[in-house]
Amino acid sequence: MGVTILTQFALENKTGPQTVEVLSKRICALGAVQQGHFLVDCETYTSVPQLGHQRTVHVLHNSEQPATVFSLLDNGTKITALATDGLFDLLMMKMSQFYTSKKQTKAESKGLRYEIGDFYVKLGTVTVSSNYKGILVEVEYRPCVVPAMCWDLLKEFLQGFLGLTAPTNPPTYLQNRMQEVYTPIDTIHQYLEHFTMFRKSPGIYRN
Amino acid sequence: MSLPGNAMDSLSAALKCNIIPNQEYLLQGSVLDQYVEVLLHRLRGLCDNVDSGPESFHDHEICFSLRIPNTAASTPMPMSIFSLRVRRALDVSDTPYQLRYIGQQELGDKNRPTVVRSSIDMACSSTILEFLTELGCRIEFEYIARGYMFRKGRMKITVSKIFKMGGNKPESVEPISQSYLVELSVLAPSGQDAIGEDMRIFAEQLRPLVQLEKIDYKRLGNIM
Amino acid sequence: MQQREEKQLESALDSIIQRVNDLKQSIASMIFKIENEYETINWPSFLDNYALISGQLTTLTKVLSHDKCPVLRNLTVLPLMLSPERDEQLAQLTEHRVTTFAHDLCPDYLRTKLEPVAENKMLQLETKALGLQYDNAQKQIATYQKVISHVWDIVSKAREEWESESSSRGNTQQNSSVADTHLLVAAVGMGKGLKMGPNPNGQTNPTSGGMMVTPGRAGGPPGPGQMPPTTQAMSMNKAPAGIKTNIKSAAQMHPYGR
Repeated sequence: MGVTILTQFALENKTGPQTVEVLSKRICALGAVQQGHFLVDCETYTSVPQLGHQRTVHVLHNSEQPATVFSLLDNGTKITALATDGLFDLLMMKMSQFYTSKKQTKAESKGLRYEIGDFYVKLGTVTVSSNYKGILVEVEYRPCVVPAMCWDLLKEFLQGFLGLTAPTNPPTYLQNRMQEVYTPIDTIHQYLEHFTMFRKSPGIYRN
Repeated sequence: MSLPGNAMDSLSAALKCNIIPNQEYLLQGSVLDQYVEVLLHRLRGLCDNVDSGPESFHDHEICFSLRIPNTAASTPMPMSIFSLRVRRALDVSDTPYQLRYIGQQELGDKNRPTVVRSSIDMACSSTILEFLTELGCRIEFEYIARGYMFRKGRMKITVSKIFKMGGNKPESVEPISQSYLVELSVLAPSGQDAIGEDMRIFAEQLRPLVQLEKIDYKRLGNIM
Repeated sequence: MQQREEKQLESALDSIIQRVNDLKQSIASMIFKIENEYETINWPSFLDNYALISGQLTTLTKVLSHDKCPVLRNLTVLPLMLSPERDEQLAQLTEHRVTTFAHDLCPDYLRTKLEPVAENKMLQLETKALGLQYDNAQKQIATYQKVISHVWDIVSKAREEWESESSSRGNTQQNSSVADTHLLVAAVGMGKGLKMGPNPNGQTNPTSGGMMVTPGRAGGPPGPGQMPPTTQAMSMNKAPAGIKTNIKSAAQMHPYGR
């Protein structure tokens, strides 16, 4: 486990599959080797009105941690994170009287996973309730666990294959925890931020 | 690595194959403080973990509940209540917390040897307390359980002293009775009723020291 | 006269054969159990089998020594014809254990004396016993008797103690109390007697003492080395790192390099 940066990526006049293909070619030209697939998904549950002010539970799975279920509870002012065994999904089903799932917001990012030296690169195609929404690029630098100490390296690496559109600042979620030890839940927080953005955006990059 | 499946899909597949251990078979009883040594001695002889000796535990359990008023007039209960339990070890610092849902118990008829209730049991991070509070749960009650755990095949036997929380300090706990609670349980996928028979036979071997029985919570509610 | 004796012999043989068959069956079932159920068989059922066999042996001995039973050793079995050919009738009679009645097998089956090797050994032992000095023998017997009576004493004393203990426990001792069981089960199951707040429906519940305050960084400023909080609306909370390494299956898939 190292530090992971997640960023959206789009090319003008290119469809999703075409964009992924371009990125895949670039990364392979740098010497990356494809290493299987990955999948991150997110299901969202909201509290019933009788429970008082509305709260939202986002339940996420990451194929990198296949036996764990991550839950982020948003009460409007802050987010509480929880990591549990796989049976948490079953528990959410039991709670359907109190928290109901919004099926049309089920988001997922899936695609191929590449290894290049100390980096893992994942090119994910994002869908929200099966509608294509965009591309998410995940880059993980494995030897380091403190974001502040490897951000510059990651930035340079990202620029190496994303070009000018690569991010120049750390993700907002990481900005005030650059000195902390990075853990898998931080990746989950980043995914949720992007999924939320994708869900809100009506625009679909489908030309 | 093969194509990673959707987590919910694999869960429903597991549910369909009935491999998730979500049923608890349970028998309960108690033993007076002065005979607990005799019971522990007997359990040491009967159970699997002979070499390592009994495993001791010292846990704190909190029961949370989520409740909303029932709007449907047809239901007999005025409230919908959903209970969750959180358990954490006080004697070991590095273990995950345990989150547990326990469903309604089914006593069944006289021929069924044990109580059966649905149970979902999982390890979780220590943020669970805050998570449940934010979820809208509130604390119903809490207690400290200290005692020993034994194993016999799939069966789990716990012998525990139950303490009431006294104020804010962990030292000021008081036992609620002069007995130890004894529980014999198995977590298994539903439909494996044969295990009940094994439990009945095992419970028989602890008599007359402990009478492990099916205890009806509803009737207890009336007695006390 | 002769007829009566013959009848007696026949009935005696019948009952002997029946007993021997019973014995044979129980030995077979015991062998079957040992060979096929050696993983599940328990001592009580094993001993039951053993007791059955030993009981059947006793009955057989009784039948043999009964006064109605004619003295079998006075009778002779004379093999009239030996043949190396396979004898179907014989095979059927003996459940395919003996298929021919030939000169090499016949002595074994009709033997009334011990095997020569065993007989020799018996003879040796007997001469040795005869040659033993009377005093020496007496001494040895005395020593054995002493040892055995000592062991006997220990066993019977232990048994006495055990019996008195178990009888006293069975009669008078009360090891558990039904009231306590109900109290404990109601407490653990429904919180009877554990709820501290006077109004169980109130929003605040004093039960949760300071003891169970979340170790997670709830609300307050997080750990050292943190950058000052930005203007971000959400002060997000982070799950403590420790827990993740504890969720084992995930950790095994991906050991975090710390």
